[in-house]
Amino acid sequence: MPSTKRWIQVGIVGVLLCLTLLAQEIVRVRVSVKDYAEFTRVTLESTQTLTVTIARRRPGAVEVSLESKNPVHILSGPITSRLVRAVSESRQGARLVLTIEAKTDSYTFKHFTVGSPFQLIIDFRESTPQIAPLGPKPEESKPVPTPVEKPAPPPPQNTGLQAAPLATGARTIVIDPGHGGMESGALGKAGTLEKDITLGISLKLKSLIERHLAFRVVLTRDQDVDVLLENRAAAANNNDAQFFISIHANGSYKQRSSGSETFFLNLNATDEDVRRLAYFENTQTELQGRIKADQDYQDDIRMILWDMAQAAYIRQSSRLAELIQAELNSLLGTANRGIKQAPFKVLTEVACPAVLVEVAFLSNPDEEKLLGREEFQWNVAQAIYQGLVNTIREFPAKGNPR
Amino acid sequence: MSRSRILLLAVLSLSLILLALLFFLSGGGGTLKEPPPARAGKKPGPQAEIVEMKKVRLFFLSGADGLFHPEEREILSSPIPEREAAQVVEELIKGSRQGLISPLPAEARVRQVYLTKEGTAYVDFTREFSDRHPSGSTAEIDTVYCLVNSLAMNFSSIKRVFILVNGDEKETLCGHISLTKAFLPNFSMIAQ
Repeated sequence: MPSTKRWIQVGIVGVLLCLTLLAQEIVRVRVSVKDYAEFTRVTLESTQTLTVTIARRRPGAVEVSLESKNPVHILSGPITSRLVRAVSESRQGARLVLTIEAKTDSYTFKHFTVGSPFQLIIDFRESTPQIAPLGPKPEESKPVPTPVEKPAPPPPQNTGLQAAPLATGARTIVIDPGHGGMESGALGKAGTLEKDITLGISLKLKSLIERHLAFRVVLTRDQDVDVLLENRAAAANNNDAQFFISIHANGSYKQRSSGSETFFLNLNATDEDVRRLAYFENTQTELQGRIKADQDYQDDIRMILWDMAQAAYIRQSSRLAELIQAELNSLLGTANRGIKQAPFKVLTEVACPAVLVEVAFLSNPDEEKLLGREEFQWNVAQAIYQGLVNTIREFPAKGNPR
Repeated sequence: MSRSRILLLAVLSLSLILLALLFFLSGGGGTLKEPPPARAGKKPGPQAEIVEMKKVRLFFLSGADGLFHPEEREILSSPIPEREAAQVVEELIKGSRQGLISPLPAEARVRQVYLTKEGTAYVDFTREFSDRHPSGSTAEIDTVYCLVNSLAMNFSSIKRVFILVNGDEKETLCGHISLTKAFLPNFSMIAQ
């Protein structure tokens, strides 16, 4: 059968052609520049692994040379950054050279690569001396909870606002000390400020988590500074946080109001929102991916998605609230106000299980005294820590109940 | 001669009537609803409306159970629902006569109330509404739902309330509760 033979020959040639085409696949490299609190990050995301060499040929510019068997195609958008002026490409033989021009000569940079998809991350930092972040004070004499799950303490991480997504799979918890700076929050009769209490408890909680769990902790602030609400949510989203816990001290018109309560978001959903919500709940695992895929060129869509980010995590957030509240009740001896829902601005854009803990009332003179006590703050931190541990047991990975 | 003059007069007067009709029709249909007075509670113009009172129920916070309890008031009846709604809000700010708590800052005033066809009431307060607020989650929640519940319970045309401060949308009331979306009433906070 000569015709069959001929067809086989054609097929083989076709397959070979396809293979050569595949081998010649264009490598796409997406370049993005983003400012963080203390540095500027240039990310090169490639569809294939590349051989990269980085050098600072002249003071104001860093050259990144990319080598690949296949043609490399660079995708980049307009750059607006504190530190990086421009990224330009040029060819030197088989190599493609990206020149990153800085706005100043006095900067340092560090780089590292991440596996699949291949990412080269270069962090630029202005080389003016930085104030060392305020770490949690070691309080060895204080009550220490029994080690749970991962007894080995994690290596100390450099945390704080400057922390950004790590290349490793280190899981992150973001703790948000409410208010700060010009914005003091609620005020007690004796003059206690909500912002001071929230920071005190947050630093204690951070030290407990870092001592006993294999989690990295990022604080939205570790000093008395103003932080925009959107940046608090961004701290969770940029760090791909597993959990977001906002710490607050309550205030009420009713002086006798007392006790602890844990809130999760109430979307205050209108009919249209309910439809959107249902859509997000059905596609919640895709939400993150969608947002990431849309980055850079579909800002509007991304904004709308972020606006509803918490919608996808309401159920897990309510469980986290329950488990934290249970520990607060058993440990603090304050009145149990239960878990509640309210439209807290700080929670709306957080894309992970997120709660807001109202520890006790500053507007209640007795509780104001309590809140100011170190011992009480440690108990609160321990209760939240224990609630968190119980939640981690239930949700080993983000958004996936066991 | 006289016949043609009569004809001319007739044509002229007819066209005048037509013009006047056109003017009123377009004027009535095209203009926006009359905005409510900046200060509600003021007496409306004496010539226009017959002074008629309407009973409303305000919902104030109880110091005992932390829930909202009704208190009756009389406001001036008006064919414009925004005017009545503004009076309700002003009454909430004035506070309770029965020892209940008003969680709206006493220094705040209502600038405007707008009501959309879809049932969203936009209540615009002066800046004292947030500047003089004591802050705190529970305090902010009580402020919001005192307002929203009182409006929704008295006006079937109000389904949700959007709070503006000094004419603008505000991120939060005082650091906690988001004001970037309209609030639905929360009747579970009302005492049975």
